[in-house]
Amino acid sequence: MFTRREPKIDEQELTHIPGAEPQNRLDAWWWLVALVAGVIVLLSLLQPDPYWRIILFVRDGIAITVVITVVSFILMLFVGMLGGLGRISKNRVVNLIATLYVELVRGVPLLVQLIWWYFAFPVVIQQIGKWTHISALANFHANAILLAIFGFVFCYGAYMSEIFRAGIQSIPKGQMEAARSLGMSYFQAMRHIVLPQAIRVILPPVGNEFIALLKDSSLVSAVALADLTRRGREFMSANFNPIEVWTMIALLYLVMTLFAARIVNYIERRTKFER
Amino acid sequence: MKDSNEPIIHIENIHKRFGRIHALRGVSLQIQKGEVLVIVGPSGSGKSTLLRCINQLEECTSGKIIVDGIHLDSAQNINAVRQEIGMVFQSFNLFAHLTVMDNLLLAQKVVRRRKKEEAREIALNLLKKVGIPEKANAYPYHLSGGQQQRVAIARALAMNPRIMLFDEPTSALDPEMIKEVLDVMLALAKEGMTMVVVSHEMGFARAATNRIIFMDEGQIIEEAPPDILFTSPKHERTKLFLSKVLQL
Repeated sequence: MFTRREPKIDEQELTHIPGAEPQNRLDAWWWLVALVAGVIVLLSLLQPDPYWRIILFVRDGIAITVVITVVSFILMLFVGMLGGLGRISKNRVVNLIATLYVELVRGVPLLVQLIWWYFAFPVVIQQIGKWTHISALANFHANAILLAIFGFVFCYGAYMSEIFRAGIQSIPKGQMEAARSLGMSYFQAMRHIVLPQAIRVILPPVGNEFIALLKDSSLVSAVALADLTRRGREFMSANFNPIEVWTMIALLYLVMTLFAARIVNYIERRTKFER
Repeated sequence: MKDSNEPIIHIENIHKRFGRIHALRGVSLQIQKGEVLVIVGPSGSGKSTLLRCINQLEECTSGKIIVDGIHLDSAQNINAVRQEIGMVFQSFNLFAHLTVMDNLLLAQKVVRRRKKEEAREIALNLLKKVGIPEKANAYPYHLSGGQQQRVAIARALAMNPRIMLFDEPTSALDPEMIKEVLDVMLALAKEGMTMVVVSHEMGFARAATNRIIFMDEGQIIEEAPPDILFTSPKHERTKLFLSKVLQL
């Protein structure tokens, strides 16, 4: 039997434009974050020894890893912005300093830089203190976390400078010219016109830097900082169970990076705009 | 007190070099208050460079520019002079991340330090004047080229400039949008705004000015009222150029 039906138009179908999906919908890749988190919970529940013991043992390491990453990241945004502005500056001295900084930093491995700041830098300060007879410098002992953060900001700031430079240069010259022709100063035009547009361009690479930083923070385990990786090594040397320890450490890093990637992705989609 | 007969723009023998390219080769020009000057010429003739030198988007290599009594080379604050000179670009250059209203408000706030309500009122009146008050909350990418250019004109006018520069304002527009922009410019000319316009719109030139300049290879070749320049130019180069432009 044939019954005539009103043609039903699927509104969703009609209005679907690729790349224009509703922005508030939860990203589908969240399930991967949930999956990894689920594996961690499951392992700790089913086999508290050693998995739950590992988590309890390394949790202060997680805190150090997160603190170093977040604080370094916030500071390196400022360094990156200054470095980026310096790289496009028409002032030769400023430009030279910024370029020298970027080129030097990018040519030395991060691990070597961290070791230098941790082991060599305090000695340099102490030597200077001895020569100048300033006892505050001669007895210089820096906090290990501060030195690590400084090392990361110094190194990543250089890469960030290049990202800012490229982002600023991607904004058409006419935007700056229009702002200047209205009587705005260079810095007013930068602040109100160029940077707000450049931020949207550089968000994806800056987000990548954050995730890279989260992983690279494990390098501080080489300079006597009890981060997640170092705490893992300490647990292992006491209990001799490499498979369980390093699997759990890997899962903990994974759940953090996947989570960060989702956050970055969310912010990216919220700030996207057409031109 | 300024002498009322003194030209508002006084340009004396300016040169501009971009590396090996000699873009302006000794241009002298005087523009009176309330005058509309149209500049025509082939691409690369230096007409845009001349315009950009007037508001110092380009610094000229040598020569003298005096705008409204201020020497541009000695001006301590070039931004102060720029506030008095509005500029309209070929590619509109609206601020892409701001609404039409915010495009008009920003410089009023940060440069002129106007109060928000006052700036809003000025902006709304100007949007009415250019015929698109209903687009106040739209973003530039939602507007047609003609609408964008009219917003750009309104944005420049919001600063109450004494001089308006137009750098090929209709060259990037579809033909049916050219008129809406030219109408706004013509109304502005009738109000007595001092305008320097780089444009090949002969109809506009005829209606708006009695002084048109032909430039080629960085020099002013010929100056005449539009009717005379378009119909019986003196110089060979002008004839050659016009024959190419007018046959379109």
